[in-house]
Amino acid sequence: MIDLHGYGPRLAEGALVTIELAVLSLVLAVVLGLLTASAKMSRNWLAHRIGTLYTTVIRGVPDLVLMMLMFFGGQIGINMVTDQFYERFGWDVFININEFVAGVVTIGLIFGAYMGETFRGAFLAVDSGQIEAGRAYGMNHWLVFRRIRFPQMMRHAIPGLSNNWMVLLKTTALVSVIGLTDMVRVATEASKATREPFTFMIIVAAVYLLIATVSEWGFARLQKRYDVGYREAD
Amino acid sequence: MADTPIPLEVRNITKRFGDAEVLKGLSLKAQKGDVITLIGASGSGKSTFLRCMNLLEQPDEGDVIVHGEEIRFKQTKHGREPADWKQVVRMRAKLSMVFQSFNLWAHMTLLENVIEAPIHVLGKPRKEAIVHARQLLDRVGLGEHADYYPAQMSGGQQQRGAIARALAMDPEVMLFDEPTSALDPELVGDVLKVMRDLAEEGRTMIVVTHEMAFARDVSSQVIYLHQGRVEEAGPPDEVLGNPRSERLKQFLAPKH
Repeated sequence: MIDLHGYGPRLAEGALVTIELAVLSLVLAVVLGLLTASAKMSRNWLAHRIGTLYTTVIRGVPDLVLMMLMFFGGQIGINMVTDQFYERFGWDVFININEFVAGVVTIGLIFGAYMGETFRGAFLAVDSGQIEAGRAYGMNHWLVFRRIRFPQMMRHAIPGLSNNWMVLLKTTALVSVIGLTDMVRVATEASKATREPFTFMIIVAAVYLLIATVSEWGFARLQKRYDVGYREAD
Repeated sequence: MADTPIPLEVRNITKRFGDAEVLKGLSLKAQKGDVITLIGASGSGKSTFLRCMNLLEQPDEGDVIVHGEEIRFKQTKHGREPADWKQVVRMRAKLSMVFQSFNLWAHMTLLENVIEAPIHVLGKPRKEAIVHARQLLDRVGLGEHADYYPAQMSGGQQQRGAIARALAMDPEVMLFDEPTSALDPELVGDVLKVMRDLAEEGRTMIVVTHEMAFARDVSSQVIYLHQGRVEEAGPPDEVLGNPRSERLKQFLAPKH
């Protein structure tokens, strides 16, 4: 049996942090992705520009750089604001960026840009006649979106979504650099203390692989659900 | 009967795509029970005209009046648009459209397609909508196909399903946009038969079609369009039986 030198419970906690971080980032990324796709497809000039700026900047800068920029740079920015409060009004406030929240926000922001492109492509793949039929039958924008566009778009989005999720999951490993105690950080500490890096890293690798395998199965089920009605056509 | 509002009236509809003016001031009045067929060559503007009636295309000029209610427009930087989309949504619910490519919602079964708008747009109770939908499906000969997805049905079945979907709205006027043009020849008959039955029971219909026999037998009025203008209009015996213009004569001449 593998000897974990008492690190077992902490590793498990770290794994939980990894999963929580990944799932919450995914939720944020999906929301941002839908907003970005809508903005980029909008005929509103400003919304279109903002969407394009966002995807260009985020996709053009390395994830690690963005993460450090937001965490350390963000703290400096907040400090500057709170210092002003102290100088001008005498309010003594100190806001510390929480590593977990910073991690979720950064990863969510990064993957929101990728999701945006995935969703945009998927929305464009929906046959315009399907949407037109909805409009012709008196559906408003929201109803057309909810009942027709979204379910039909998802069918095209799931392969890209599942791909983004896999990359996102592995990107969570980067949060150890901003001091969040995720699974990778616990394993790094344990490796140094015990001088058995192989033992701990193989466990970490296995856990990531397990999460990935379970999610692949989940996405396959989701794909099946949104493929309803199309299997005969393809 | 005198004060019953006219189901659909459009006046002086003009439509431009870029520099090309595709509709040059078209008008039409559909009284209750009228079957008006729009005929003309490709590019004559007949489908665009039909699509202006339920505002799938926005006319650049002209009025649209549904059941006595005139649609209000405003100028925006994107061109002329309805001032109140809620009004448009309300009027579209009174006009049902049948499309050339059927456009049944692909992710729903036939029954779900038929009950969708009655439940979500008209606010009909689900049970009631299902009972009505089953009657309509029986009527168009698809009683056994309620649980099929569109992709599992032939084009003719899909189009009859689309007609059931249109009927489920209890529409004031039914708009047909070349309903048989995408069908294999042997499937056209079933769809036309359903449409003839609808005309006989007094439905108000506006039909863009290439089916001259249908136009001759069923319509109360035939409108021949050429390059966005009405070239000839009147009862079918007159327009189709005794065409005046050289162009319409040529259009009606048997093609080989």
